[in-house]
Amino acid sequence: IKAYQNRTPERLMENTQDGNLGDWFKITVPYGIKYDKTWLMNSIQSHCSVPFTPVDFHYVKHLAQFFVQDASAASALKDINYKIFDEENQKIPIFVNTSAVPYSMCNKLEPEKMEQLKLTISKRYDVSQKALDLHKLRFDPDLLGHDIIIILNRRNCMTAILQTIKKNIPELLSLNLCKNKLCQLDGLSDIIQIAPTIKTLNLSKNELKSARELDKIKGLKLEELWLQGNPLCNTFPNQPTYVSAIRKYFPNLSRLDGQDLPPPTVTGIVDMDIIKPCKESFKGPETLKNLIFQFLLHYYLIYDSEDRESLLSAYHEEACFSLTVPYNSEDPALSNLCEYLKDNRNMKNLKDSDLRFQLLKHTKCEIVNSLCVFPKTQHDLNSYVVDLWAHTEIMLCFSVSGVFKEVIEVERKSQGSVRAFTRTFILSSGSNSSMCIVNDILTVGNARTEETQSAFSIPVPTPTFSSLSTLSQEQQEMVQIFSIQSGISLQWSQKCLQDNEWNYIKAAQVFATFKTQGKIPEEAFKQIS
Amino acid sequence: EILPGENGRRKNSVCLAGFTIFLNIWSSYSRGNRTREEVVTPPLPQQSVSGSPMAMPVDFKTYVDQACRAAEEFVNIYYETMDKRRRALTRLYLDKATLIWNGNVVTGLDALTNFFEVLPSSEFQVNMLDCQPVHEQATQAQTTVLVVTSGTVKFDGNRQHFFNQNFLLTAQTTPHNTVWKIASDCFRFQDWATT
Repeated sequence: IKAYQNRTPERLMENTQDGNLGDWFKITVPYGIKYDKTWLMNSIQSHCSVPFTPVDFHYVKHLAQFFVQDASAASALKDINYKIFDEENQKIPIFVNTSAVPYSMCNKLEPEKMEQLKLTISKRYDVSQKALDLHKLRFDPDLLGHDIIIILNRRNCMTAILQTIKKNIPELLSLNLCKNKLCQLDGLSDIIQIAPTIKTLNLSKNELKSARELDKIKGLKLEELWLQGNPLCNTFPNQPTYVSAIRKYFPNLSRLDGQDLPPPTVTGIVDMDIIKPCKESFKGPETLKNLIFQFLLHYYLIYDSEDRESLLSAYHEEACFSLTVPYNSEDPALSNLCEYLKDNRNMKNLKDSDLRFQLLKHTKCEIVNSLCVFPKTQHDLNSYVVDLWAHTEIMLCFSVSGVFKEVIEVERKSQGSVRAFTRTFILSSGSNSSMCIVNDILTVGNARTEETQSAFSIPVPTPTFSSLSTLSQEQQEMVQIFSIQSGISLQWSQKCLQDNEWNYIKAAQVFATFKTQGKIPEEAFKQIS
Repeated sequence: EILPGENGRRKNSVCLAGFTIFLNIWSSYSRGNRTREEVVTPPLPQQSVSGSPMAMPVDFKTYVDQACRAAEEFVNIYYETMDKRRRALTRLYLDKATLIWNGNVVTGLDALTNFFEVLPSSEFQVNMLDCQPVHEQATQAQTTVLVVTSGTVKFDGNRQHFFNQNFLLTAQTTPHNTVWKIASDCFRFQDWATT
């Protein structure tokens, strides 16, 4: 354990001559590694009464360190020891000691060499692309001709390059450091302040052994990075882990090693709230989407009506239907699902194969009879999330999740619990090429409070002009949904549907055609809150 | 060292008997292990020989039983493989299988392999299972089972999600057994249920 003593810089100054380049001070922040470099330096700069230029900021284990040359700055820094609070309200210690000349200040290139370096760099700079190509700089003929040895792995050389960039081309967009035998990126850490606009960086074919080197430059907002040909690439078991590790340093990265990167990683998706309304979750051709939409519309219109028997025509002669309620049926919270529990075919709990067979409703009559027994419902089509997950020429398989309300008429007001459901349908086209349901699996559970509140939040349209009152329930619902899908107002939706004989698909196609032709007037588009 | 003479012969046969027993135990153990990466059920009586004019139509209950058996076996293997042996998961899928994961489409074994590598480590708990044999009109007589599951999952030890998952399993019959593979898979978080 090193003990940091604050030796007074003033006392030390007595021992040195005036104006001596040797008066360097090392500033140490214990556990500085936990702070973001920019935040730390800005905090220190703003608290320090004397402005200073930090040199060679770097981390050694958990310490953050940098150098200053100015004795008065060093003294002022000593004064702010334990004066700055971090985000957790802890005081930040700042220790000041004398020091030898920092590494990068050693062997500073002489002015003539810097001049030549500047010329070389301007030759290697493409103004139109704002790209600087420093690959294999060691062997640049100009530099060699002038006996200038630029080994970028050495701090003094890298500093010289950065200084030149800072003075002449701070607007740099792309930097190529390929084949320079770089084994660490400490020297590059200042690049974030010097050329913050860099979007493309090529570090390929160097000697970087660990991806942690990228920590030193992670303030850069890189969009394209090259790392191949470094030992660090072999430390990853496979491409996806490599990609996601690199992405952690540069979240905006869209190209790595010359390859376009796929859209955001799965971990992003896992955290996302993915409950989307019906219209956004389809995968598949537009015609199938419309087909499924129309199917769901019609199916649930009938299901929600008094007359579920009409569903007979939707099912195949030998269709199958089964219902499950998730979780243990002895759970007391499920007792209010009793209407469904008696048909519950959850195979996790039900082991008897005869019972399993009985609870599977086979033939359309059996199915519709069971459906008629279930409580009357009102489905909220706007809550639907639909996945079309398998289809062939003769088969469509899709799942719907959403909410519905059980309708119990009490004194002419409808009350009832809100349930959440998931239903998978398999439709098949028979010999007469009309589609019917061959398999139907339903899961019913209680909805969450949030779901209950947001369900049915879009009110059924109240008549605003006389003709609307003559619309049937089915037509009213069609208008409502058409309006949401197209973005035009209810009145215009109704007009469009009426003009197309209440054929939803046709109306939608007509609307789409008019829209592309720009024939829909502005006032038709109404904001739906 | 086998000693000559009667004593030696007895020792020999005891050794041999012991070894045979060992072999039987080992082979049934390894056979059990081998099938843990494949979903296998015994063949249906008339399914093993296709096109036989004397084949009796299979009773519907038999189809249902077969579907249930395949579904249960499948669900056990699938989620265990997903949690503990993720690299072997793609063996349960057909070459051209499609997965829709929270709306994201992943098609083909290569894409599936990449996907399952990037997917964080999982801890599944299945609370619900149901299945139906899919009507042959939809599948052109390719035996298919629809399986639905739901339960909870944690990815990388983060918060728990409720999920729903649907599978279409297709049968590949051989004379000795039926191997089931996933043709389509649809997975969604479903955080609607109350606990």
